[in-house]
Amino acid sequence: MIKRLLGVVPVVFGVLLLTFLLVHLVPGDPVEVMLGESAPMADRAKLRAELGLDQPLVAQFGHYLQNLAQGDFGRSIHTRKPIAESLKERIPATAALALLSLLIAVIIGLPLGIAAALRAGKWPDNFATILSLSLSAMPHFWLGPLLMLLFGLWLGVLPVSGMSDNLSILLPAMTLGFGLAAILTRMTRTSLLEVLHEDFVRTARAKGMNEQQVILRHALRAALLPIVTVLGLQLGGLLAGAVITETVFGWEGVGRLLVESIEKRDYPVTQACVLVIALTYVMVNLLTDLLYARLDPRIRFAG
Amino acid sequence: MKIGLVARLLALTALAVVLLLMLDACSRTGSHDDIRSAVSQLPQTLDPRYATDASSARVNRLLYRSLVDFDGHYRPKPDLATWRVLSPRLFRFTLRQEGRNFHDGRHLTAEDVAATYQSVKELADSPHAAEFANINKIEVRDESTLDFFLQDADSNFPSRLVIGIMPAELIAREHDFSREPVGSGPLKFVSWRRDLKLERLSDRQRFSFEEIRDPTVRVLKLVRGETDMLQGDLPPELVGYLKKQPAIKVTESRGSNFSYLGVNFTDPQLQNPLVRQALAHAIDRETIIRHALVGGSRLAETILPPEHWAGNPDLEAYAYDPLLARDLLAQAGIKLPLKLVYKTSTDAQRVRLATMMQAQMKLAGIDLEIRSLDWGTFFEDIKRGNFQLYGLMWVGIKTPEIYHLAFHSSSIPPKGANRGHFADRKVDEMIAVSDWANVASRVHEQLPYIPLWYEGQFAAVRKNIVGYDLRPDGGWDGLTQVKRSRMKSVFPGKNTL
Repeated sequence: MIKRLLGVVPVVFGVLLLTFLLVHLVPGDPVEVMLGESAPMADRAKLRAELGLDQPLVAQFGHYLQNLAQGDFGRSIHTRKPIAESLKERIPATAALALLSLLIAVIIGLPLGIAAALRAGKWPDNFATILSLSLSAMPHFWLGPLLMLLFGLWLGVLPVSGMSDNLSILLPAMTLGFGLAAILTRMTRTSLLEVLHEDFVRTARAKGMNEQQVILRHALRAALLPIVTVLGLQLGGLLAGAVITETVFGWEGVGRLLVESIEKRDYPVTQACVLVIALTYVMVNLLTDLLYARLDPRIRFAG
Repeated sequence: MKIGLVARLLALTALAVVLLLMLDACSRTGSHDDIRSAVSQLPQTLDPRYATDASSARVNRLLYRSLVDFDGHYRPKPDLATWRVLSPRLFRFTLRQEGRNFHDGRHLTAEDVAATYQSVKELADSPHAAEFANINKIEVRDESTLDFFLQDADSNFPSRLVIGIMPAELIAREHDFSREPVGSGPLKFVSWRRDLKLERLSDRQRFSFEEIRDPTVRVLKLVRGETDMLQGDLPPELVGYLKKQPAIKVTESRGSNFSYLGVNFTDPQLQNPLVRQALAHAIDRETIIRHALVGGSRLAETILPPEHWAGNPDLEAYAYDPLLARDLLAQAGIKLPLKLVYKTSTDAQRVRLATMMQAQMKLAGIDLEIRSLDWGTFFEDIKRGNFQLYGLMWVGIKTPEIYHLAFHSSSIPPKGANRGHFADRKVDEMIAVSDWANVASRVHEQLPYIPLWYEGQFAAVRKNIVGYDLRPDGGWDGLTQVKRSRMKSVFPGKNTL
């Protein structure tokens, strides 16, 4: 367990180093972005010194780590707003979207997957297969506008985009959730089919347990391991900000902030967003591993 | 039992979907008194000392008043102040009596003007600082009068004074104007969380601006009634779609933002004027304007439009003639096909225009390779001179100083925007004596830019929004008059595609 936790440290340091190098090595000069093309060289040099960009990369990285340790992500080049403030606004929005998407995926994907496994080869299975394959084949940038047309324009029941309405979250969450539900349906079906023929399921039935108990209490619990792994990875991706969906729906989350910062060459913001995203992945993976051990007592972390 | 569980599971799935949909009961957007605009980009900053993007400039014009504005021919005209030229290096500005109240109740004085320009000049990170480096001293004579002393004579100095005036006291306190602006313009700042909210002083009409980057989503929001108006930044097919919607009114007008192909003069082939002329004759601009641009777009020959006081309406257009283009390339000794790389952004409309030009140039024996790059990389390449041809647009240009910035031999980056490294002694001499009509003529002849078009402007509003005037530069000044009609709309919010 402790070993697993310690394993996170080099990953986080690697992420910090990589993001720092990436944003400093890509073409583009933040000073020029701030001052424009016709600024005198003297002004550029002055601002470069003020921002510490005239120092060697190693020194800049040192300052970066020092500031990070104090929770200071720096300021946006464009808005001149502290980045921590922007992240504070964006992270809850992304988290809400991710969790609702996951909920939608679980509500749709789990029952469908179970139904498909229990009636393998019959119409519920065929229906679930067609639905899940169709949904997983639809890219978000296409499914999103399709849902907007359906629910926003034709049925007129949900807001097309934005965050001004309490229900604005539904369409982006459905866009993300449907895709995830498709994966979950397939995973649940496959995983459950594998365990339905195991001895412990037969034993449970032989003991006279009703079918519902057999499926939900015994088979499904054993089938959950691969499902949890996939869900963990997917949730990591969702929490990191669904870049395309957030952009299409005008959802002010971390993903959209990242895209905007890259477009504007707002390096400190890009750096902070990538860091947050990477840390989210690391943490969610860690939690998934811990949950995995909880679900299957045979799995224990050494140390 | 097994069947029962399957049925229950399927029913649960269906119930989940139905529950999601049932939430629609209260999903309807309530009635809004705000006039809502969906914009492709919100301002970067509401501090005019830092604003460079078009969106910031447009909003700041509404929030702040400046000393000078421009008339229909882009000549500087008094806004907050009138001026007198006391000597080539001394300008006296006298504040007029009207419109001198800041939104926080302070009275606008010459001290505020002096503090604003002093601050722009001194801020190390202001992109406008260089523009005012020529100011030697600002002297306040009384509450309404101040003198600007220049280091070098500059006959166009008044036309530079378009920075919004801010209260001196707040400048001294390092107030955050970027998020809490205090100006004296016709609209005042209300709030800026997700949406930017402004209020018109004359009748307390509120406006909200929401950033929606995807053009299709902006259109859907307008059609559904989630927003009241949108302006510019739409491909023509979406404008065409909006024109067919009964609940929407589309207005188009002439534009003045200049689109062009930039040419790199360090490229041996492109140094040859015959090759540049061939390029100009290889593009069927009229067809592109007719089929791929919004109404109000028109042919352009130089940066400043013909109606500009420093424009040149007598320039003869390079006609589309692929055979002539082939002849010119043959005269230049070019072996066909001439292979050229054209860089553009990833914007769908820009890529579409590029493919049209690519097809047209093929007939002239030019094999155009399109490289579509993300904005940051694209613009960085252009500034570094890492291109053969690129496509860009000058937006909101008001003064002929643009010719110095774009074509003077001393303006090669990083000292200016002469990105193609164009150097022509005659152009430099003409710029030095402000002979703008001839500068335009010489540039048109030498073709450091292959001129394309002035892109038209359009606004699409819901039919209960009245009185919105379009400006050729895409400005949002129409918000000072626009109103929401109180008549009940006969068009429901719901619509079909």
